[in-house]
Amino acid sequence: MSENRLMVEATGLTKGFGSASTRLEVIRDLDFVVATGEMVAVVGPSGVGKSTLLHLIGLLDRPEKGRIVLDGVETDGLDGAVRAGLRNRSIGFVFQHHHLLDELDALDNVALPLRISGRGSRDARNRAAELLDSVGLAERTTHFPDQLSGGEQQRVSVARALAMGPKLLLADEPTGNLDRDNAERLFQLVTELHLKVGLTSIIVTHNEEMARRCDRIFRLAQRSGLSENVREI
Amino acid sequence: MSLGAELHVASRYLIGNRRWTPVVTVSLISVFGLGLGVFALVVTLALLDGFQSGIRSQIVANAAHAEVRPATGRRVVDPEDLASLLQGELGNVEIVQVVRGTCLISSDTDAVPASVVGRSDTEGVIADRLISRRLGVGSGDRLEVISARQRLTPMGPLPVRIRTVIERISSPEPGSESGTVILPIAEAQRLLWGEPVIEALELRDVAEPWSLGQRVRGILGSHGLAFQVAGLEELHRPLLTALALEKVMIFVAVGLMLVVAALNLLCNVAMVAAEKRKDLAVMAGLGFTPRSLRRLFLVLGLAIGLVGSITGAVLGSALSIVLDRTGALELPRGVFMVTAVPFSVDPVTLGIVVAVALGLAALATWLPARMVARREPSEGLRYE
Ligand SMILES: Nc1ncnc2c1ncn2[C@@H]1O[C@H](COP(=O)(O)OP(=O)(O)O)[C@@H](O)[C@H]1O
Ligand SMILES: [Mg+2]
Repeated sequence: MSENRLMVEATGLTKGFGSASTRLEVIRDLDFVVATGEMVAVVGPSGVGKSTLLHLIGLLDRPEKGRIVLDGVETDGLDGAVRAGLRNRSIGFVFQHHHLLDELDALDNVALPLRISGRGSRDARNRAAELLDSVGLAERTTHFPDQLSGGEQQRVSVARALAMGPKLLLADEPTGNLDRDNAERLFQLVTELHLKVGLTSIIVTHNEEMARRCDRIFRLAQRSGLSENVREI
Repeated sequence: MSLGAELHVASRYLIGNRRWTPVVTVSLISVFGLGLGVFALVVTLALLDGFQSGIRSQIVANAAHAEVRPATGRRVVDPEDLASLLQGELGNVEIVQVVRGTCLISSDTDAVPASVVGRSDTEGVIADRLISRRLGVGSGDRLEVISARQRLTPMGPLPVRIRTVIERISSPEPGSESGTVILPIAEAQRLLWGEPVIEALELRDVAEPWSLGQRVRGILGSHGLAFQVAGLEELHRPLLTALALEKVMIFVAVGLMLVVAALNLLCNVAMVAAEKRKDLAVMAGLGFTPRSLRRLFLVLGLAIGLVGSITGAVLGSALSIVLDRTGALELPRGVFMVTAVPFSVDPVTLGIVVAVALGLAALATWLPARMVARREPSEGLRYE
């Protein structure tokens, strides 16, 4: 991957919630870029807009103003189905509360994005089994989310995010609900996969120590609506 | 585009569960509601069809299946020729020559106006139950039939009349109000015309009663003969229309139950949508298009609709058939033509009921599904 290619290019991003009188502007006129292959940490106090930002980048929500270019694709004005296709193929999500489907076992959860992409059932399940193996859960394929520990759930979630071989991994406080040991293991897993698969990763975290292990840190500051962009390599 | 992922998730929501989830509960309630509606509709319509087919078969059993009248005037010219032509072309049908009119029927004590029919296939005098009841006469009693036609006698003009004896009492023609007396053709001709006139030919074909009119029309047309032909449908149009109308009205009225069941389904699907908000957002995040999300819900709704309406239809048909076979619901004797409540399950009606139930289920699912697909995925992901 070439040095100067950009995976994410955001200009003038603005997003708020509520109607005129109760309006809360969470993100105002934000510009930033993330280069291909970078691992970026996003930090900031609770409620500052980290999740909102991640949702915008991940095409889970639309900005009110500004534009986002993902890997050279202008996402502004794409319709719902095309955005869904991009989410399916190019973006992997890991959330704070794993967000696995309770009715599906680990294997089917991981296979879900593969099924969505149109892959046959057997094919999808074989690939899902490989992925679970790669996050160290080969023995737990038939277990349902409520039969797995928090750390295990989060690893299933990572396997699911990587199922379609995305270019961009978006993680929203992936270790937020885990104890120190599990958090550390998950972070290491993500770091390993990031390097091995050649991902671009954006990770929201409260953990300063983990943030410092990333290539760059975005700091979102309350109220000012501006983002400090501190590079600490 | 395959339905694989939608079907997979929908089936896991409904049946692939290890636990009893709200989605399962709510779906079972919807299945029950729809099933009950379909069940009620199927049984009601089977009951109605049972009675109606009783009436229809009574018409077929007693009345003419087709009637041929002259296109102009009242007399059939050369009725024998016409009859033998039709007999030759149609083969195995009964053909009866007929005259009709109205006379005064009088017993020893009372007199009432009534229809008089002269038929070539009758030897004796047959009065129907209406006459019997109104005049208080039975078989073997004397009866006088007085025509409106007069003849000159030494005592001046007097109405033509015949004295006769009732041979038997018949059940009244459906729809008849004044009662009917059937006479041998010669006597009726004397009363009504004073000469051997035939006004109509009545035909019966027990094998194919409902199409007889059409066939007769074809034969007469191909011979270039101008006659007025009425088949069973035309002869009994008011009654048959009333029966059809009754069926539609009952369908609509009892069908409202299905509408209520569909509204219940709508609420339940909306509840599932709320309950599964997070899942839906996650699925959208993983690449479900808005259309796939809609389809996921349609699959859920149609699965509920199918199970509910098939179950209701099967149970409703089974109950109807059992009640019909065993005659479990007895009727008071003498009031109806049958001794037990008849049920008849019509496959076409059954198909329509199931189709309507499925259509309503799809409609009821469509609204919440559309709502779900409109949301941006991030809305379901807020967990603070
Ligand atoms: N859909 C929404 N409707 C209203 N307010 C919202 C919505 N989403 C986020 N917010 C508000 O926007 C702010 C930023 O939220 P969020 O991005 O979740 O913060 P963070 O992830 O940094 O904790 C919060 O004040 C939150 O209450
Ligand atoms: Mg957040």
